[in-house]
Amino acid sequence: MTTLAPSRTSNTKSARTPKGAVSAHDKPSYLSTGILILGALYCLFPVIWVVAAASKDGNELFSTFTLAPSTHLWDNIVALTEYRDGLFWRWMANTALYAGVGAIVSTWVSALSGYVLAKFDFPGKSGIFKVLLMGVLVPGVILAIPQYLMLAQAGLTNTYWSVLLPQIISPYGIYLARIYAAASVPGDVIEAARTEGAKEMYIFNRIAAPMMLPGLVTIFLFQFVAIWNNFMLPYIMLGDDHLFPITVGLNGLLNQGASAPALYTLVLAGALLSIIPLVIMFLLLQRYWRVDLAAGAVKA
Amino acid sequence: MRKSFRAGAVAMLAAAAMLTAGCSGTSGTDAGSANDPNQKVELTYWAWAPNLDKVVEVWNEKNPNIHVTVNKQDGGDPAVTKLLTAVKAGSGAPDLIQAEYQKIPTLVAADALADLSGTEANETKSHFPEGVWDSVTLGGDALYAVPQDTGPMVFYYRADIFEKLGLSVPTTWDEYAQAAKAVHAADPEAYLGTFSSNDAGWFTGMAQQAGASWWGVDGDAWSVNIDEDPTNKVAEYWGGLVEEGTIDNKPMYTPEWNTALNTGKQVGWLSAAWGPGVLSGNAGATAGLWKVAPMPQWDASKPSTGNWGGSSTAVTTQSKNAEAAAKFATWLNTDPEAVQALVKETGVYPADNAGAKSALTAAPEFFSHQPDFYEVVADAAQNVGSFTYGPNVNVAFNAYNDQFAKAAQAKQKSAFSDAVKSMQQVTVEDLKQTGFTVK
Amino acid sequence: MAMTVTKPGPAADTAAGPSRRAKNFKSRVLIPYAMLAPGIILFLVFMAAPIVYTLVLSFQKKKVSGLGLGKGSQSQVFAGFENYVSALTDPEFLGSVLRVLLYGLILIPLMLGFALLFALLLDSRRTRAGSFSRTAIFLPYAVPAVISSLLWGFLYLPGVSPFHFLARQFGVALPSLLDPNLVTFAICNIALWGGVGFNMIVMYTSLKAVPSEIYEAAKLDGCSEIQTALRIKIPIIAPSLVMTALFSMIATLQVFAEPTTLRPLANSLSTSWSPLMLVYRDAFTRNDVYSAAATSIVIAAATFIISFLFLRVVQKRAFGQEN
Repeated sequence: MTTLAPSRTSNTKSARTPKGAVSAHDKPSYLSTGILILGALYCLFPVIWVVAAASKDGNELFSTFTLAPSTHLWDNIVALTEYRDGLFWRWMANTALYAGVGAIVSTWVSALSGYVLAKFDFPGKSGIFKVLLMGVLVPGVILAIPQYLMLAQAGLTNTYWSVLLPQIISPYGIYLARIYAAASVPGDVIEAARTEGAKEMYIFNRIAAPMMLPGLVTIFLFQFVAIWNNFMLPYIMLGDDHLFPITVGLNGLLNQGASAPALYTLVLAGALLSIIPLVIMFLLLQRYWRVDLAAGAVKA
Repeated sequence: MRKSFRAGAVAMLAAAAMLTAGCSGTSGTDAGSANDPNQKVELTYWAWAPNLDKVVEVWNEKNPNIHVTVNKQDGGDPAVTKLLTAVKAGSGAPDLIQAEYQKIPTLVAADALADLSGTEANETKSHFPEGVWDSVTLGGDALYAVPQDTGPMVFYYRADIFEKLGLSVPTTWDEYAQAAKAVHAADPEAYLGTFSSNDAGWFTGMAQQAGASWWGVDGDAWSVNIDEDPTNKVAEYWGGLVEEGTIDNKPMYTPEWNTALNTGKQVGWLSAAWGPGVLSGNAGATAGLWKVAPMPQWDASKPSTGNWGGSSTAVTTQSKNAEAAAKFATWLNTDPEAVQALVKETGVYPADNAGAKSALTAAPEFFSHQPDFYEVVADAAQNVGSFTYGPNVNVAFNAYNDQFAKAAQAKQKSAFSDAVKSMQQVTVEDLKQTGFTVK
Repeated sequence: MAMTVTKPGPAADTAAGPSRRAKNFKSRVLIPYAMLAPGIILFLVFMAAPIVYTLVLSFQKKKVSGLGLGKGSQSQVFAGFENYVSALTDPEFLGSVLRVLLYGLILIPLMLGFALLFALLLDSRRTRAGSFSRTAIFLPYAVPAVISSLLWGFLYLPGVSPFHFLARQFGVALPSLLDPNLVTFAICNIALWGGVGFNMIVMYTSLKAVPSEIYEAAKLDGCSEIQTALRIKIPIIAPSLVMTALFSMIATLQVFAEPTTLRPLANSLSTSWSPLMLVYRDAFTRNDVYSAAATSIVIAAATFIISFLFLRVVQKRAFGQEN
């Protein structure tokens, strides 16, 4: 994969005209461009709707045309910030902690495991890999209950650890890391380092991991989104709403019980604000984003 | 390499020890003996009523030795779910929990609630209506919670639209049906109300009004009495209205329902004493247009109503400071200052008779044009019938959601009767399967 | 050889292995296992142990004596295969499985079809606005399912939907997507919206890994853009298609957040609409972890069998010549 990357890099512009030779076939096609833009609009539409909805006050939200924007976006953000002394921003910070720290540690563990599974030959290797892979098939909802019962034995429920620790292991991340390691870390480089007497962990941290970096960014993003999206685990583990991530917090604002109104304006403003950091992160990192699920297969 | 592996293992062990020591649960279990009055006690309290933490602040200022921390929950169901899981796990439960009355038998069955009959909470009996007291004692000698608020059902309606259509406020269910017809005839998009398959508590309150009591105790056996005359009468009545199309069949508490409240397409709402908070939150612009009236009656000569919502303060079996927790629960629900703060901050209708009388003088802001608001509600509170909940209310309510969703979608009177039968069957089967004796 | 799942150890792995050189026990066994230790320990503690625990629970049940209200009146007893028998004969469970199969049959072809179409369009040299579209189509992947279902719920409800509003202006009455016969499509749409971008990126990445010389050659042979796509590009990225299909199938069987969020908005979704909703209901609403555990094991086993069969079939069909 890496050997091929330079000829067709992840930058779309150069991918379109890799040799700078624009032939007659490359003139713009309105049909294909049009279809693609329709797809883009379909995906953007609910986001546009959120922007409009988050700019309305409580009465406008349920009385004016849904797509007509209003002027209360800032008021809603202020109200959201004032809600229980800025709890919303605490939820944002918690989410950054769970997803950010969780994904970094998870990426490191996945990379190390994937590297060993790809580059070492040892008894039990294929068995371990198969068992790890089966983890992909187990739904998180099913694991959440026994995980709770076990963490409660250790007195860890209702702490940051109860959400962080179970999400570090990612069979999918290990699977991807194994592919990236096999494709991007040449065996003779490892051999050369060993001959010079480098320790194995030094080889991994200083030589192999940097070679796998673009792939590791993908695993990081992947794991970040997985933790960000995981509703069930924090929902079950946490009792104190100062520890909630944003999804569980916003869900709570919606489901206040029958005797209190759902706080729709706060939820919609919160939903909008919570998407923004992710969008920025994706825009910054997307040139590394290459989930080549079958890269190893293409090579072989 | 081996050395670094060993170092890593030591680091992991150290990290694990640090986790357990530094970050274990907040469940106030390390506060020492409860007998020493000068010992500082930390209590955690799972509650979902909005702003309850502000009432608790009053307590914390006055009682520096018993500090209570409120952990806001998502509502009655998630809080109970989490408590049951924590009890199963043996740790992780708070000291106190806000528990709806219908959840108490379930919680007691799971051994989640401490018996408070030996504490000062037992002296509060005279504060509460008898029916409410029964639901926290389950009719026995034990005391499982201190009542906090109740939700006597009343009828909210858009006075302006009623006036425009020349309708008078329905006092019986027959009149309600006629008014519903008139509202829908005047505007095909407008309804006097909706039948909500999402709100089992709402339907339970109306069955209670008709004289139902879904569970009963007979010696060592439970009885389930859902599929009986009162509930069938209510189900058939609503099935008939939905079949005619004069009543809406969509759930309450959806964005669509909020819109309808705002635009006057939902002209009435059968709700409870806490209704003003929901109305002002969802349709603030309609302030001044709503009025409250007693529930329509089955028999106008014998007025009665049901409860929708209402909750109590319970102490969990995992609390190491049950005595202090009971002291706080007693204060929160019977001290005049606390009850006053409950009314002001959380908008609930207090269960404490005397407290309700002294605290509820002025109508809530959303109903400031109707000075006799709390007189109507207080009258309703006097007429709440008794109702026994069983150990599997969750199963029955879940069956309500699924069965009545089907019935409301089918828009057939017969489907509503079938839904009652299914509820009965599912509830009985669950009890039997778990090993309860069912009569 | 995409089938590393069933046939691990491609040539690239072993060639670089230390087996040639290091013969002693330490470097052959101790070092790899020490480096795998964090992964293995975490796997054992947070995946394997909970699964074993679930298995144990699935063979138990709750037993009550008397009214079940006093201390110790409820206990846990051995249930044998009782929970499994009742799970497999429960019409609600079978109904939820059938609903999810239908849901998958609609969703997976649509999602992969659109993802492939968008990936090919992005890869085509004649498409403009590629960078914008790629980002826009990928964006929904960053929106948690709980939030996206809430947004779409607003767009579905006839009383608040802009689509219904516009249709009413023209005197047309649109059917509600939340009606019982359409609600599957409503859930499919949310999953499609959230998933098409991810699958598109996976396929697009594979497409870019193909040397451009192949396309040049095809063009010289007079292949049109569409012919190139059908005859060259799609076969080349077939392994990627297989993997996206597999992961989509696994995700489909686990559908939970979307129907759970939509359920309170209408009468058309039951609390046992999908198998995982049934598990959630048993475990949390009905407080019966034992039945929930048995159903979980059945779902996990079924997922495993389906994935395995799928890979076997595809492997024979598409990769038979390579092996």
